Amino acid sequence: MDFIVAGFIKAFELLISGDSSTWTAVWATLKVSTCSMLLSIGAGLPCGFLLGYFDFKGKKHLRTILDTMLALPTVFIGLAVYAFISHQGPLGEFGLLFTLTGIAIGQTILAFPIVAALTASTIESIDHDLKLTLVTLGAGKRNIITTCLWEVRFGILAAAVTAYGRVLTEVGISMMVGGNIKYHTRTITTAIALETNKGLFADGIALGLVLIMIAFIVNLSLSFLRKQ
Amino acid sequence: MTQTDLAYHLKNIQHYYENTKVLDIDDLKIRKGSITGLLGPNGSGKSTLLKLLAFAQKPTMGSIFYNGRIEFPFSPTVRSKVTLLTQKPYLLKRIVFENIAYGLKIRKETKFLEDQVKKALLTVGLDYQNFAARKWHELSGGEAQRVAMAARLILKPEVLLLDEPIASVDTESAKLIRKASLKARDNWGATLVIASHDLQWLYSISDKQLSIFKGNIFSTGMENIITGPFVKTDEKSLVKKLGDGQIITLKAPTQEVCTAVIRKKNISIALERQPAGGVDNQLSGHIISMLLEKKNGQIMATISINDLSLILRLSPDQISHLDLYPGKKVILQFHSNDVEWI
Repeated sequence: MDFIVAGFIKAFELLISGDSSTWTAVWATLKVSTCSMLLSIGAGLPCGFLLGYFDFKGKKHLRTILDTMLALPTVFIGLAVYAFISHQGPLGEFGLLFTLTGIAIGQTILAFPIVAALTASTIESIDHDLKLTLVTLGAGKRNIITTCLWEVRFGILAAAVTAYGRVLTEVGISMMVGGNIKYHTRTITTAIALETNKGLFADGIALGLVLIMIAFIVNLSLSFLRKQ
Repeated sequence: MTQTDLAYHLKNIQHYYENTKVLDIDDLKIRKGSITGLLGPNGSGKSTLLKLLAFAQKPTMGSIFYNGRIEFPFSPTVRSKVTLLTQKPYLLKRIVFENIAYGLKIRKETKFLEDQVKKALLTVGLDYQNFAARKWHELSGGEAQRVAMAARLILKPEVLLLDEPIASVDTESAKLIRKASLKARDNWGATLVIASHDLQWLYSISDKQLSIFKGNIFSTGMENIITGPFVKTDEKSLVKKLGDGQIITLKAPTQEVCTAVIRKKNISIALERQPAGGVDNQLSGHIISMLLEKKNGQIMATISINDLSLILRLSPDQISHLDLYPGKKVILQFHSNDVEWI
């Protein structure tokens, strides 16, 4: 028990003193997760909207594929991205292996189905009377789409937060594609795994606390937006 | 009635959900500035008809002429002129002010917006100071209905379609909705089509009533619908057994139909049964309501016969001669040949 308590005390010391290895891992995590979230929202939101709003042939099959992608293991995504961006891979010439960009690509693949599937479910849950109400108030097609999106804004925010949580806490992609290079591609989760393996609990706990703090701030922001 | 007097002219309308026909109207004309009441049981096609009139849906077959021109959903000529208040009004997840102003905002008519919202709220009996900033979930059912009504009235629509507008509101809200509807017709000549189960309310507001059953408009005004099961007694007649042992005898239909209509005009009322050999249906029941039809001075009486309610029109003379009042036991008489099958 003592070593856990000591770990917590050391964790605060590391964070307050601005320990460079700790804070570079924090910044790397923030950079890569923000980038992957922007990309996954950019692609997932319109795809989810199309899937949830319109009826078309093959919709069910697409939905099944998307739902299956929700369960993709991070190590599998890491492996697939690795295969594509490694020197022998089709995208090898871009030099993305062991870079934050490489990790962001993998994490985008991880977050995309979450954003798209949850957005589609949210759009599908729209009260049928909403569309009818908007039509009868004189809304055009564009007004209907924007108003529908605004009506389910909390559902879409929740989808983004869920995806962010998944991206923030994944290890497999960051480890395989990023290589856990100190001061370069080391993220909070890969650092925790490494430090714990080395028996350096304090470093691991410090990073874990930051991770929880980020998740807390994101959820707090969501609650604040809801209240607004 | 000339074409220029008409707000709507529906021709050969058929509408299907999946493979089920829900509406079948050969010809329906609705005059500009009129208030038309739609009567009919649940699932009879009233809401579907209102959606078609609102151009929220396209009929599977047939044409809808609006002001003499064939129109379609999203047509700019009808989009801003026709509005529908649905049975369960949906309020946007915004404050009351934004809900009411939505229609004007999308039309980009935002001059004196606050004044217009104030007026609209006042029309439905809500105070701007107390309600404008309330969120959608801070309203009671009646208040929400009135806010939804205000969101339509602020648009000053040429046509206001109301689907069960008083189904879930209190008496006071029902009065205010009636007042606001009449104001729309009187102030800017709006045409109104209103579906309601509340006969008294509907008769008090509408100029003309249409009965819909199984997607067909089969009469003007309320008529008596008798649904099965029927038991065949011989080749020529069917009977319906009521829960209290009374029997209705009807002439058998010539085709495969299962709903009988007995028109009001074919039912007579008496205090005692006629001797056998006269009319073949004599049913004992109690008067449960009497409603004055202002436009013709007649009284619409509803008689409860066990699990069946029948209506008939009475003159004030009949009422006083027979000394009729709600609760009085009466005998309804009609002939089995007077049945119509639909």
